[in-house]
Amino acid sequence: MEDTPFHFFSPDEINQLSRMEEADRANEYLYRVLDIGQHMLQCGGEVSRVEDSIRRLCLSFGAERADVFTITSSIVVTIYAHRFGAVTQTRRITGSAYDLRRLELLNQLSRRICAEHLNLEETEQALGKILATPQRGFGMQVLTYALISSSFSLFFGGSALDAAASGVIGIVLKCLDGLIRKTEANAFLSSLLCACLGGLLAGLAVRFHLGDNVDMISIGNIMLLIPGIALTNSLRDMFSGNTISGLMRFIEAVLLALTIAFGFALVAALI
Amino acid sequence: MTDLIIMQLFTAFLGSLGFALLFQVRRERLLLASLGGFLAWGVYLLMGMATSQDVIRYFVASVVLTVYAEILARAVKCPATLFIVTASIPLIPGGSLYRTMQHFMQNDLDAFSRQGLTTVLLAVAIAVGMLFPTAIFQLLHRVRNR
Repeated sequence: MEDTPFHFFSPDEINQLSRMEEADRANEYLYRVLDIGQHMLQCGGEVSRVEDSIRRLCLSFGAERADVFTITSSIVVTIYAHRFGAVTQTRRITGSAYDLRRLELLNQLSRRICAEHLNLEETEQALGKILATPQRGFGMQVLTYALISSSFSLFFGGSALDAAASGVIGIVLKCLDGLIRKTEANAFLSSLLCACLGGLLAGLAVRFHLGDNVDMISIGNIMLLIPGIALTNSLRDMFSGNTISGLMRFIEAVLLALTIAFGFALVAALI
Repeated sequence: MTDLIIMQLFTAFLGSLGFALLFQVRRERLLLASLGGFLAWGVYLLMGMATSQDVIRYFVASVVLTVYAEILARAVKCPATLFIVTASIPLIPGGSLYRTMQHFMQNDLDAFSRQGLTTVLLAVAIAVGMLFPTAIFQLLHRVRNR
């Protein structure tokens, strides 16, 4: 027998164990970073902004290299550092709705993390606080729908009566949207139903002399439903090099627009 | 004519305000965000005196609104996206996109391809107009940090 002192683990194994421990920590950090990236993407951050933020966050958490690939429906990140090796995580992203206040706060948070090197708990706490900030209430959203509908009815040359009708229909559409959202139905189905109801009410309003021109009433509601912003952003994505994201958004926007036109056309043919 | 112009400027402001509210913009930023829409449509109308090419009018309006957004973003420390999204609302070719699909539904394929091309061209004009100022501001930022 050799008389070297007994070690439970050889130095090589200890080295390996500490690497595994470090990799565990890196995984934990990466998970939070992906949380931030996911919420940024979901509340309307551009792909390039999300990729940039994730890369900066990973580097500030001690990664030597960070490769980030983001499209609108997924994030893939691999970080590498000598002390923990390569660590990869992916995240599937579903559903997004503009929330520019949240985006602003997340942006501030990621800057703060990079500048002050927050630890895991502090990051989690700050993120939780951001996600807990309340959105505008349902009543306010209903009024907003009316405001947008009336504004665009006038913008495109409608009369005051058209604007009023459009505003009222906007309110009805918001209520329908709220109901459909509770059932978590398919986005296209919800747009189709809103378009059908919008077309129907606009037709009825003109028939009962509560409006002058069906097109002028409808355009206000259409501006609410039509994915014009998504179309423009999809081209912006493509021009800034995020071709896949851009194409996905472009096709989504075109299909959604088709659905909405179909909804209005369907009802116009019936009444 | 002037009536329509004033009405359009006013409703462009209100439309941007509406979308700013819908997109949860903070109360302190609402006025600046809505003024962006007013500015964008104002530039579009002004450009009408120089050219009748819609694509150029949209492009210039988009450049101006992005410069506005980038300057504000640095002044009040928040993402430029916030002002770009809300200010571009009056320019967004939503009506044109809808008419495109309407022609498709009516099986009028000639009108569909014409309107479709117009819609995509307008969206390209706006998207490219947003690229230049953003790239220049990023370049300036990088040079200053060096």
